[in-house]
Amino acid sequence: MKQEQILISVEHVSKRFERERGVMQVLHDCTFEVMKNEFLVIVGPTGCGKSTLLNLIAGLDFPSTGSILLEGEQVTGPGADRGMIFQEYALLPWRTVLKNVELGFEFQNREMDAGQRKAEAMRYLDMVGLGYAANKHPVELSGGMKRRASLAMILAIRPKILLMDGAFNALDSKTKMTMHQEITNIWATEKNTVVFVTSDLDEAVKLSDRIIVLGKHGEIDAVLRNELPRPRLGSAARDPGFHHRFVAFRETVMNVIKKDVGMRTCRVA
Amino acid sequence: MANQNGSNATGVQGKLLDRVFYVTGILLFLAVWQLASMFKLFGADFSDSFSPVAAFSALFEMIKSGELIHHAIPSIRRVLTSLLLAIIVALPIGVLVGYFKRVEQLTYVVFQFMRMISPLAWMPIAIIIFGVGDVSVTFLLWLVAIWPLILNTSHGAGRVSPLWVNMSRTMGAKDTGILRKVIIPAAVPDMLTGLRLAVGVSWIILVPAEMLGVPDGLGYFILDTRDRFRYDQLMATIMVIGAIGYLLDSANRWLIKKFAWKL
Repeated sequence: MKQEQILISVEHVSKRFERERGVMQVLHDCTFEVMKNEFLVIVGPTGCGKSTLLNLIAGLDFPSTGSILLEGEQVTGPGADRGMIFQEYALLPWRTVLKNVELGFEFQNREMDAGQRKAEAMRYLDMVGLGYAANKHPVELSGGMKRRASLAMILAIRPKILLMDGAFNALDSKTKMTMHQEITNIWATEKNTVVFVTSDLDEAVKLSDRIIVLGKHGEIDAVLRNELPRPRLGSAARDPGFHHRFVAFRETVMNVIKKDVGMRTCRVA
Repeated sequence: MANQNGSNATGVQGKLLDRVFYVTGILLFLAVWQLASMFKLFGADFSDSFSPVAAFSALFEMIKSGELIHHAIPSIRRVLTSLLLAIIVALPIGVLVGYFKRVEQLTYVVFQFMRMISPLAWMPIAIIIFGVGDVSVTFLLWLVAIWPLILNTSHGAGRVSPLWVNMSRTMGAKDTGILRKVIIPAAVPDMLTGLRLAVGVSWIILVPAEMLGVPDGLGYFILDTRDRFRYDQLMATIMVIGAIGYLLDSANRWLIKKFAWKL
């Protein structure tokens, strides 16, 4: 891999939290790179530190040891180059969907008048298929619509990197499929880099260029390259040959996870 | 208002029925008042001048002579001035207290202690510092208005979801942006609740506060009518105090309906 393609370097990162009941270790000596325009998926058991890892890349928290570099520079705090989509909905309830999408423009004091802001926000709402709900308030939206709105909100700031933390959890399977299609399209057209955390293996196999499997104690168990051809969604998924490869790869990922769960017992540091 | 126990009438007819009950309530109240004066409940000599009929005719007389305006305007002015000053002081403090846990700990006991003290207890001190007059009255009203504003604003600012703040930071927001676009709007419903409580309690404290050596105002006028044995005017003034208080509260309810977001 060429040096200039590396966007994020995670170097020997460990994270411990001081809790009343002792020290909790969630990430253990993790080292990996994220390439430009890569779709990287991180899977692993709950509590291994998947979400924490995203927080560290976002700059909302800092590693206990090790370091995270963004294009060779140490991450010192959050920035609009890394847009984060949280597990819960982070829409501001007093703003309409449209005004929520405009929030990023306001924060960044972009040279835009009200009309331009609105037009630009609408472009992103249309991109996620939510243009029709622009004037609704978050409280009026379904779970899937809220995810779309959050996605539009983050896309509108045009981040180089999209950090997605369980972004499609708890959606019904049909909505989830639509969202997979949309995120794949957006990723292909906007050419951003995605770091996607999930516990859904199907999702991981459908979306990823590479899958990082984290172990129960936050160590990297495996880095697996996903060789399945794209497109992988819709009619392509119904091809028997493709389906066979899909299942085989999912099995490979599953085996790595099973081995981890079987071999170790819970350790309290 | 929803009918909890009665009929569940809806639509035009239901609304009409609602109105009938509101109006009946007012009429019943006036009837009790009239009966009380007829049965000489206010004493044998003066009960007639306490009656609603006497009060309403005194009210019209006071409106015509300009006496009512002469006393109502300073009262409203004092309440609004003190509220404005209270808002200016209380909202920033409330946001700080609500958002920073350490500031809350620093101020919690003192604020809870201070808010339980009737502002009238401060009256001698107010007079020593500001002298008898307008400034003292405004100060006492200010002192009663700041606590509900501070405590409710801090409650609102304390409810700001860390998720909103983190999201804003990843969207490139600076601290001032987060304050202006996230924390303050999030606290607006509680600020308005605080304002409603502040208006209510200031208007109540206004009457005794205006009994402290000011030459005008509704509180002053209550004592004045008593001294002149004009109990009809006294009752009229009481009605006016209630009516203005009701209007101020209605204005506040309108603000809440218009500007408070709901989850």
